[in-house]
Amino acid sequence: MKKLIKYIAVASIVMGFTACDDLFDPAIENIKDENSIDSESNYADQILRSAYILMPYPGDPENDVATDDAVSNDINNDYRTIAGGAWTSQTGVSVNNWRDRNASIQYCNLLLEHIDNVMFATNEAINEMFYDRLKGEAYGLRALNMYYLLQNYAGKNSAGELLGVPIWNHSFSATSDLNVSRDSFKACLEQLLSDADAAIELLPKDYADISDAQVPAKYKSKGVSAAQYNRVNGTNTALRISGRIVEAIAAQAALLAASPAFSDQSGVTWADAATRSANLLKQIGGVAGMAPTGHLWYTAEEIGNDPAKADYHAEIIWRGNNETNCSREENNFPPSLYGKGRVNPTQNLVDAFPMLNGYPISNAKSNYDSKNPYEGRDPRLQAYIVVNGSTLGVNNDVINTTADSDNKDGIDKESGISTRTGYYLRKLLRSDVNPNSTSKVEKPHYATRIRYTEIFLAYAEAANEAWGPKSDNGNGFSAYDVIKAIRNRAGITDTSYLDECAASKESMRELIRNERRIELCFENKRFWDLRRWNANLNETARGMKISGNSYDAVDVEKRDFRDYMIYGPLPYSDVLKFSNLEQNAGW
Amino acid sequence: MTTKYYKFLPIVTAAALCAPSLMAAEEADSDSDNQVQLAYRVADRGDMLGGVEVLDFAKLMEVNYINDINNGTISGYVSGFNGNSLWGQDGDNDGFLVLIDGVVRDMNNIISTEVENITFMKGAAATVLYGARASKGVIYITTKRGKDAPLSVNVRANTGWHVAKSFPEYLGSAEYMALYNQALINDGKDPIYSQQDLYNYSSGKNPYRYPNIDMYSSDYVGRAYNRTDVSAEISGGNERARFYTNVNYFRHGDYLKVGEGKKNYTDRFSVRGNIDVDITEWISAYVNTSATFYGSRSANSENSYWANATTLRPNRINPLIPVSLINPEATSALEQIGATANIFNGYFLGGTQQDKTNVFADYYAKGYSKFTSRQFQFDTGINVDLGMVTPGLTFNTKYAVDYATSYNTSYTNSYATFVPVWGEFNGTDDITAVTIEGKDEHSGVQNISNSASRQTMYWSGQFDYARQFNDVHNFHALVVGAGWQRTRAGQYHKTSSVNIGFEVDYNYARRYYVDLALTGVHSSKLAPGHRQGWSPTATIGWNIANEAFLADNDAVNTLMLSASAGLLNQDQDIQDYYMYSANYTEGGWYEWAIGGGSAAYPKRGPNEGLTFVKIKQYTVGLRGELFNRLLDFNAMYFNYKTTGLLGSTSTKFPSYFSTYYPEASFVPYTNMNDNRRSGFDFGVNVKKDFGDFAFKFGVTGTYYDTKALKRDEVWENDYQYREGKPIDAIWGYRADGFFQTDEEAAAWDQSALGGGTLKAGDLKYRDLNGDGKVDTNDQEYLGKGGWYGSPFFMGVNLQLSWKGFTLFVHGLGSFGGHGLLNDNSYYKMVGENKYTAAAREAWTQETAATATLPRLTTGNGANNYVASDFWMYSTDRFDIDKIQLTYDFPKTLFHGPVIHGLQLYISADDLVTFGKNREILERNVGSAPQSRFYNIGAQVTF
Repeated sequence: MKKLIKYIAVASIVMGFTACDDLFDPAIENIKDENSIDSESNYADQILRSAYILMPYPGDPENDVATDDAVSNDINNDYRTIAGGAWTSQTGVSVNNWRDRNASIQYCNLLLEHIDNVMFATNEAINEMFYDRLKGEAYGLRALNMYYLLQNYAGKNSAGELLGVPIWNHSFSATSDLNVSRDSFKACLEQLLSDADAAIELLPKDYADISDAQVPAKYKSKGVSAAQYNRVNGTNTALRISGRIVEAIAAQAALLAASPAFSDQSGVTWADAATRSANLLKQIGGVAGMAPTGHLWYTAEEIGNDPAKADYHAEIIWRGNNETNCSREENNFPPSLYGKGRVNPTQNLVDAFPMLNGYPISNAKSNYDSKNPYEGRDPRLQAYIVVNGSTLGVNNDVINTTADSDNKDGIDKESGISTRTGYYLRKLLRSDVNPNSTSKVEKPHYATRIRYTEIFLAYAEAANEAWGPKSDNGNGFSAYDVIKAIRNRAGITDTSYLDECAASKESMRELIRNERRIELCFENKRFWDLRRWNANLNETARGMKISGNSYDAVDVEKRDFRDYMIYGPLPYSDVLKFSNLEQNAGW
Repeated sequence: MTTKYYKFLPIVTAAALCAPSLMAAEEADSDSDNQVQLAYRVADRGDMLGGVEVLDFAKLMEVNYINDINNGTISGYVSGFNGNSLWGQDGDNDGFLVLIDGVVRDMNNIISTEVENITFMKGAAATVLYGARASKGVIYITTKRGKDAPLSVNVRANTGWHVAKSFPEYLGSAEYMALYNQALINDGKDPIYSQQDLYNYSSGKNPYRYPNIDMYSSDYVGRAYNRTDVSAEISGGNERARFYTNVNYFRHGDYLKVGEGKKNYTDRFSVRGNIDVDITEWISAYVNTSATFYGSRSANSENSYWANATTLRPNRINPLIPVSLINPEATSALEQIGATANIFNGYFLGGTQQDKTNVFADYYAKGYSKFTSRQFQFDTGINVDLGMVTPGLTFNTKYAVDYATSYNTSYTNSYATFVPVWGEFNGTDDITAVTIEGKDEHSGVQNISNSASRQTMYWSGQFDYARQFNDVHNFHALVVGAGWQRTRAGQYHKTSSVNIGFEVDYNYARRYYVDLALTGVHSSKLAPGHRQGWSPTATIGWNIANEAFLADNDAVNTLMLSASAGLLNQDQDIQDYYMYSANYTEGGWYEWAIGGGSAAYPKRGPNEGLTFVKIKQYTVGLRGELFNRLLDFNAMYFNYKTTGLLGSTSTKFPSYFSTYYPEASFVPYTNMNDNRRSGFDFGVNVKKDFGDFAFKFGVTGTYYDTKALKRDEVWENDYQYREGKPIDAIWGYRADGFFQTDEEAAAWDQSALGGGTLKAGDLKYRDLNGDGKVDTNDQEYLGKGGWYGSPFFMGVNLQLSWKGFTLFVHGLGSFGGHGLLNDNSYYKMVGENKYTAAAREAWTQETAATATLPRLTTGNGANNYVASDFWMYSTDRFDIDKIQLTYDFPKTLFHGPVIHGLQLYISADDLVTFGKNREILERNVGSAPQSRFYNIGAQVTF
């Protein structure tokens, strides 16, 4: 019997299960939990990187195809579907920002709650610089996420109260009280601005290597050298959120809050919004600091073939990392250039570009020739949009978008690759890229997150409303000055029409909005701009069918948004789950 | 490694064995015939308490040659197995456990001729000893063994043809283009194909310029392919040693006749040797080994030919264009064509800018791949008769190790296609120029990919104690410890199971039966402190036939009434390790100036309290043999509740608790969902001989019903709740036919479905909650999907013999299940999809009264192709699954010592299907066509 017992024991040990991971105990994994943040500095930074990853900057046009600026030729495009009347609180696009903004805030909160336990450097002064920077980043990202939450979800309930979202200024877990109600828009905006101000206080303006003389006083007093400062806040940290970026976000948020859809209960005035923008713009010298090629910053000439990782174009406040690829061109080039022709600019947008003399085409003084619609136009038209007869691609091929075209570039030639409007996208694309799989040429691209032109336009919009077209209110530049500079940069030197508009706030408003539409087209701005302006959401998207010498503007896609869609819906499932979470009216 | 009670296994074992050994007793007698394999023991068929069925497979093979063992081919013979599951259990996380000679192995790596019998263990009491990964039933395949008999050689050879049942019917170019124009008109757009285009494509005058490709044409797809196999079995032995060996080879081809596709094949070679040795009077041992070599060759293409056949429209390209069509003066074109190596019988590869490659060109020019898989299996065991310690005590231990490796080798080439530019010469079309797309590249490098390897280790040790006391007390007890583990290359964690089991069974004079089993299971997937569970089962039985008052009655030979109850703890449905832990992990990437780095985030919220999934089961059964065993029957009612299936409790947490990128979640797993499955199975067999004529007839059936007992869910309307509905419920909209007019469509608010502007000919759905609009909340329960096998499944077996002739017929019936066609590409004619014959049935103004399908559209069809009862169809069917006519030459023919028997047979598999929706059921879209298989075979015994 003893022998047998021994046999079993030996057998069970020797035969096979000498390495018995997972049999009795799970094979060891390097499992970390929330408290591991405290003991590992890199890990704390990794938590914050999750907040970065979740940021709302697609880099490619997305919701523009649900506006009067563009349509998609992809029958399964989500934004094309919602523009056709399918937008509900259950639609995927209703959930994305809700999910990712709040999750991003969660990582910021996790970092803020743990950071004081983390040691980043044995040198106390350096450690403090890390604290300042990472806290500043977390506050800045929280403000950024709140801005996008408000843009997407703020709205009025059936009682007419303007609500924001539930404010999370501490982390949540499975045991938190999750049946939280929405804070008012005003409270959310106050949280946003206070987060922004905290971040601006803590963060350096930009991440750049400095000399000993430039070490900020608060660190210099603790004996910090330039080398030590640069370790934390130098060039190596560029592309993370900095003080300047947070200022821009605060300016964007203030503009939103001062806009007609929100202004009655936001507590933010046009003057507040204008001041936020002005303070940022003054740092580059106002209109004089406007980048001369700021409207073409995405082109091959501006980006080049090997941009430095940390370098910002003078136009750019914040951008994503360079990536060498051809996916934008693959999606948007015409089919003859091996693209899928996805984003098709509309006739509506084409018509919004003035003539070179500055007059809109509907104006008698414009000299617009409907038989030669692309002649004598604002140069930005050809810069941003491929029209019939434009050249594009590595070989400067002439693109024929007419109905008579002998290739698939013609309008409606083949569903899914040909244009539906007679136009293809050029903005954001590089002409030196070739997506043909057999002779592929890839080039650096990046996602542009915030650029100065947007802030200039925000200033113009707010300043015009607050102080009128030509008053600078002590900032050194007026709405008029900004628009003049932007149009001048684009090549419109004749200011006659601008001067006509500057006669009244109302006509100036229309001009500013039109400039904004042109300058920021395909940058995912107009979808929400139309809403904050309470503008018409249902302009039918039109195209241009050219056959022989006849130019026929045709209806391409009807828009079917209801009145209440001025404000986006909270996700249906969360409203159903949580009794305190109130939906916006109408949804 | 050490965990409390496993350490004490030997001690416990010893203690358990001491008590009975003190009693005066005789050893229980056992009848070696008519024994069935149960968990860790064999028992007399007569003592079976139900929940287990045995298929005498070797015997079945004498009249019904089955060339491949799979769920389909072994169904319908016994009750409770419906070809998909045992008693309707789900197939999640591998479903039922397959054991071959007691070791966890794949059913697809055993060849039919080496199988002795198959035990289907359905009930909890039957499977409990196998532990936490066997809760969904066990199929136990026993291989053949040598007998104490002279050398016997059995050779069997078969050859047969798989003949395609049906091909999907796709429209030719002209008809497709005309209907596509119709779709554009339906959408309010202008047609894009002119009358001249339609004429050019329909006239067939130049199929190279105006292609009309039928991918199911007999030029490309053969109607049949061959399958041939041969196997030789050699067995023999004496009282000390016995052996069985099997050598098998099969090979089958493919339907395809295009390029490299012609050479597609699959083959398999295997060898098995099973050896039993009696070392001493009280020690015996066995060794089983098996080696399998599996190979297949296939032409390279991104997707299979069949998948391409669902998408490549007929008018897009002509894949092969004669070089002779090039105008002799087009020197540049001839030069370009001259430079390519890819000229096949005077044809060059055609393409367009949009279709730079195609499956035909792939098959001609992209090369081929070979798949190789090798499996080696080894198991051995020792049986020790410990009669000298105490009578009736035995010990045996088993050890197995299996290796499986597989990999792909391929030569992948790329190629250029040529876009012809057509002109006219002397009134006929010719090619005046070509433009080149892509480039020819022969890498010459052999790529090795998809390398995989797997190792399985198994060990068990058990003590058995079997005695009969005073002629009437039949007692058996066993203690078993077992564990197995499977390691896969590239996977950090292993699949493991370890458990200790006790079983005591007792009967009084084969009248009153009690069987108690208890298994201690261990799961390293759970948090410390939650890793052990005890799974008890109890069964009682009463064989009324053995009561005195029926003892001499020939009409009732067996009448066993039984009932069982059990509780199983399983971790099979806990998919991963550490699911109880938050497990902050690294992933994603954020890039800034310094170069960037990965992020950290939790995979889930923590829940240390996570525990086993539990199955509570009870059964009641009746089994009998009547009229001198002319008729036997069995029937069993089963009812089991699965509780604590893991779920992420989504109703408690906002949607922002989980994100997609990074793939993070703060939601903990909990033991959330409960299911019930219940039903009954039955089997009846009748057999009778009338002189030269004999017949056997059998029917088996299984019915099951399922119900979601508990779900984590919140819905706005009562009818949306999953709780209380079948687990395999199909949910969808209720269609109310087509909109008759555009005005009707415009007035009905259905825009939330994403169909854009709705028109006449689009489907209208009911507003179930009456809120004035149709949206996702207007979906309800439509019917059972039959995902775990049809709700009612039956098999019919008929065997007629006359002299040497035997006719065997096997029928299968499936009833009560449903399918949906809305995602079936054969019906989904939207956007740029390929059109099938079904397009002719689509709604148009003219056919509004008779149309059976919604209008064609070039949009996404989102409104019409959602799940709804419009697309639901019944999968009810009855199949004549097998007919075989066998002739056994009379033994008297073979006087000599060489040949002892000869059998010839012809058979047909999957012959006929009856069912309202037979056409749908027989049509494969996107995969190789279903086939009927006609076979001829012979078996010789030397």
